[in-house]
Amino acid sequence: MQAATAPVKFAGRLYVLECAIVMGLYVAAVWARPWLVAHAATPELGTAAKVLPALPIWLMLVSVWRYCNRIDEFERHKFLVTLAISFGIGSCAIVTYAFLMDAGLPPLAITWAWPTLAVSWALTTAIMQIADHAKR
Amino acid sequence: MPNGEAMKNKLPELRAERDMTQGDLADALNVSRQTVNALETGRYDPSLPLAFAIARLFKCKIEDVFNDRK
Repeated sequence: MQAATAPVKFAGRLYVLECAIVMGLYVAAVWARPWLVAHAATPELGTAAKVLPALPIWLMLVSVWRYCNRIDEFERHKFLVTLAISFGIGSCAIVTYAFLMDAGLPPLAITWAWPTLAVSWALTTAIMQIADHAKR
Repeated sequence: MPNGEAMKNKLPELRAERDMTQGDLADALNVSRQTVNALETGRYDPSLPLAFAIARLFKCKIEDVFNDRK
């Protein structure tokens, strides 16, 4: 990964802006999906409507990649460690709930997977920042 | 560091000699102020490119800034 060449002080703001846009697109896609599926003129368009919320997820990946290329090496290290831990925890939570559904808990749509990972990411980021602050 | 301990460094002294704030140093190195703070407090050891950039900025050798001995 290349070192950041643009001023790193703006990286955070740009990342938050890009994430807000992507999350807005995700919410809009999830919200519009049932209507688009119900009113699709052809089966192909119905399939396209069903997969629509996945597109912002891929945009989030692009946003994360762009952020990683803007920040410096220490921030990148912290960011990627946080990402790895949080997605590990989030994935375990999703698999655990899948087994719990077999045990009788109400079934949840797969669209809950991304918010679960996002919440896990946010909580892990907060915990890591508190831990880092305590070391100073 | 093999034993998990961070290197000691003279960044605060070198910065103070030049009357620079952590923000000034961060801007000069194109890193965040948090990164400068992490370097100075020994919470993070820099990569070789960053260590070279720091040494070049202060016009000294890497070993004049960083020391792996306790």
